[in-house]
Amino acid sequence: MSYHFGRKKSKWTPYLLLLPGLLFYFIIALGPSMATAVYSLTNATGIKGATVNWVGLDNYREFLFMGRASVDNLAALQRTLIFSITVTLVQFTLGLFVALLVNQKLKGTNLFRTIYFMPVILGVVIQGLMWSLFLYPLGGPAAKILSVFGLRSEFLGGQPTEAFAWVIFIQIWANMGTTMMIFIAGLQTIPSDMYEAARIDGANTWQLFRNVTWPLLTPSVNTNLLLNIIGSLQAWQLFLVLVGYRNGTQVLGYLIYATGFGQTSGSTSSSFRQGYAAAASIILFLLVLVIGMSVQYILQRRERRILG
Amino acid sequence: MSKRIFTIISLFLTFAILLGACGSSAEPAAPTGGEKPAEKVTLRVLVHQNPPMVAFMESFNKTFQEKYPNITVDMSVVNANDLSTVSQTRLSANDIDVLDIFGFANGAQPYMKMVEPPNWQQLIDAGLLLDLTGQDFLKNYDDNTINDAGSYNGKVYSINLGRVIYSGVYYNKQLLEQYKIVVPTTWTELVAACETLKTNGIPCMTAGGKDGWPIFVGAYGLLGAIYPDQAALVKGLWEGTIKWNDEKSLEMWTKMQVYARDMMEEGASGIAGDAAPGRFASGAVAMFPGGSWYAPAIEAAQPAFDWGYIPFPASDKADDNKYWFGKYDQGWAIAANTPNKDAALVYLKEFSDPANYQAFVDAVGFIPTQPSAKLNTKIGGEIAPFLANFRVGYEQYWIAPKGAGQFANPWASYFKPFGTDDDPKVLADKVQADLQAGLDAVK
Repeated sequence: MSYHFGRKKSKWTPYLLLLPGLLFYFIIALGPSMATAVYSLTNATGIKGATVNWVGLDNYREFLFMGRASVDNLAALQRTLIFSITVTLVQFTLGLFVALLVNQKLKGTNLFRTIYFMPVILGVVIQGLMWSLFLYPLGGPAAKILSVFGLRSEFLGGQPTEAFAWVIFIQIWANMGTTMMIFIAGLQTIPSDMYEAARIDGANTWQLFRNVTWPLLTPSVNTNLLLNIIGSLQAWQLFLVLVGYRNGTQVLGYLIYATGFGQTSGSTSSSFRQGYAAAASIILFLLVLVIGMSVQYILQRRERRILG
Repeated sequence: MSKRIFTIISLFLTFAILLGACGSSAEPAAPTGGEKPAEKVTLRVLVHQNPPMVAFMESFNKTFQEKYPNITVDMSVVNANDLSTVSQTRLSANDIDVLDIFGFANGAQPYMKMVEPPNWQQLIDAGLLLDLTGQDFLKNYDDNTINDAGSYNGKVYSINLGRVIYSGVYYNKQLLEQYKIVVPTTWTELVAACETLKTNGIPCMTAGGKDGWPIFVGAYGLLGAIYPDQAALVKGLWEGTIKWNDEKSLEMWTKMQVYARDMMEEGASGIAGDAAPGRFASGAVAMFPGGSWYAPAIEAAQPAFDWGYIPFPASDKADDNKYWFGKYDQGWAIAANTPNKDAALVYLKEFSDPANYQAFVDAVGFIPTQPSAKLNTKIGGEIAPFLANFRVGYEQYWIAPKGAGQFANPWASYFKPFGTDDDPKVLADKVQADLQAGLDAVK
C-alpha cells in the first residue's frame, strides 16, 4: 500500500497534516511536563501573581532527607510500590481468568462481560460512594455480614492497613473490566485452527493454554501489564474519595495532590506548595519511567523471543 | 490541483479548530469599577457547604436580586475541604467576585522558622484579594474582629461573619434524665455518665468521622482544659518548653484514648460530617462533641428535640471546664481583579446591614461579630454563660515546622479503633519525636 501526496513540495503534506497533532501534544502533554520539572526547582505556590523564587534542589532535599517528613514520604513511596505490585498481579491474573471464562461460546457470556466491565464506566466518585455505603460501619451490608460472625470493623475509617487493603480491592474491582476486555480482544485474534491442530496432537486444556493461548496473547499481556503498572503507580483519586488524607494510607500520587493544593493538615488554611509537589511529581515520574521502561524492555524481549 | 486545494483547506480548518479549542470561551468582562448601576452584572459568589448557611444565602440572594434587579447572583457551593483549592484556582482564573474565606486567623509568628504562610496570607501577598480598608460597612463590625480576623499588614481584606466554638459537647436532655445522669461538669462525671449510658445500651458519643477532622475536633476541648492558653501552647511547642510527651500532655493523651476508645460510638468513622447532627438528633446517641455550627442542623433534623451544649468537661476541676475554644469562622473577601467590583461591594454592604446580619447569625448560629447583633438562637443561649471565656483555639495558631512527621498533632484519632495506637505513652513519645524532627530540621 502506498500513499501519493505528489512530488516536490507536496511530499511535505503528510508532515503538515501531522503538525496539528504534534503541536497539541507539545502544548497539552510535553509542555506541562517540562514546566513541572522547572517548577520543582522553585517555591511556586500555583497562586497567580505570587512571587516565585528559585530554590535549586531544596524541594528534593526536603522530600527525601528532611526530618521525619522524609521518612513518611519514603513510606508513601513504599506504599505506592506495594499498591502497584498487588494491584497489577491480582488485576492481571483475575482479568485473564475472567476473559478466558467469558470468551467461551456459551449462552449469557455477553451479559457477564457487561457485568464485569460495568465498574469501568462509573466515575471514581460513584465508585467511592457505592463502596462507602457498602462499607458503612453502622449497619451497612458489609457490617451486617461481619456481625453474623460476631465481628465488626470500622472498614475505611479504621486501621490504616485495613483501609489501604480496601482501596486495593476497590481499585482492582474498578479496573479489572479493562484488563478483561483487552484480553478478550487478544483471545479473539487467535485463529481457532491453532486450537484444532493442538487438540489433534492430543493437547489437554492446560497444554492448550500453556502452548497456544499464552504465547499468542503476548501483545495483550504486554499492554495489560504496562497499563496496570503505570495506572496503579499513578493512582490517587480512590484514596481521596474513600479515605481522605489519613496517616498510614497515603500513596505518592495522593501526597502530590494534597501538598500541592493545601490538603495535608486537615485544616482549611494549609498552604499551597506546588513547587514541592512538583518535585514529588518528578520523583513519581522517575519511578514510573524506571519501572515502565524496565518492564517494557523485558516484555519486548519476550515478545521477540515468542513471536519472532 | 483539487487535491492540493483540499489539503490546504483541511490544514486551515484543523488549525482553526485547534486554535479555537485553545482559546478561552469566556468573554472579557467590563473594566473594573466602570459599571453603571443599571448595567447587567452576574456576580459570582463562592461559599462552602454548611446547609443552614447555604439555605440562608439562597434566601438572601433572592432578596438582594429583587433589590438590585441588574445584578444576578451566581452562587457556587463547595465542600469545606475543597474551599481553599477552588478559591485559589478560581481567583487565579479571574472566575470569582466574592468568596467565602476561612482560617483568616493568626499568620506565621516570629518564632516560627521556615514555615509556609497560610493560604489566606499567600492569596493577599499575591495581590488576589481586594483591599477593603475604608469601606463604610466595616464600621458595623467590632474592631477586634476586623483586627484579628480581617487585617493583614495594616489593611483590611475580609469581613468576618462570626465566631464559632468547637470545644463543646451537645447532650440529649431526655436521655440524661431518663438514666438519672447529671449534666457532667468534670471528667470523672463524664466518664461515669458514658459508662452508665453504655451499660444501658446507649452509645455515649458520635461524630462525623468519615470527614476525618470531626473525630478529633471534640477533643480540642480536652486539649483546652489541659492548656487553656493555646497561643502560649503553640509558642511553647515551637520553643521546646512544652512537649507532647511531658507529664501534662500525657494526661491529655490518656484522656484522649478514653475519648476515642470508650466514649465514641463504634462505627463513627463511617458517618459523614453533615450526617452526624441528624444521628444525634435521632436520639441514637446521648452526646455529640462538635462545633456550635451544628446547632441549626440538629434543630432542622428534629425541631422538638431537647438538647443542651456544654464545654467539654475534660478537667476534674469544674472551673477549668468553663472555657470555650473556637475560631473566627467564615468571612467574605472580594477578588482584587473582579470586573464587578461595585456590585461585589454592594453585596457585602447589603449583607453587613444589621438586619440582614442578624438574620444570618440567627440562621447559622454564629457568635456575632457585629456589636449590635443579638444571640437570639438556642445555641446562643447555651453559649452565653461562658462567652466571656472565649479563646481562639490551637489549630488556628499552629503551623507545623517543615520536616515534622505526620503524627505531630494532638489528635485523638490516632487511637484505636480509628488509628493504630493503644498506649498513650508510646503515642506521646511518637508525636513528640515527629514534632522534634521538624524543629531540629529548621534550626
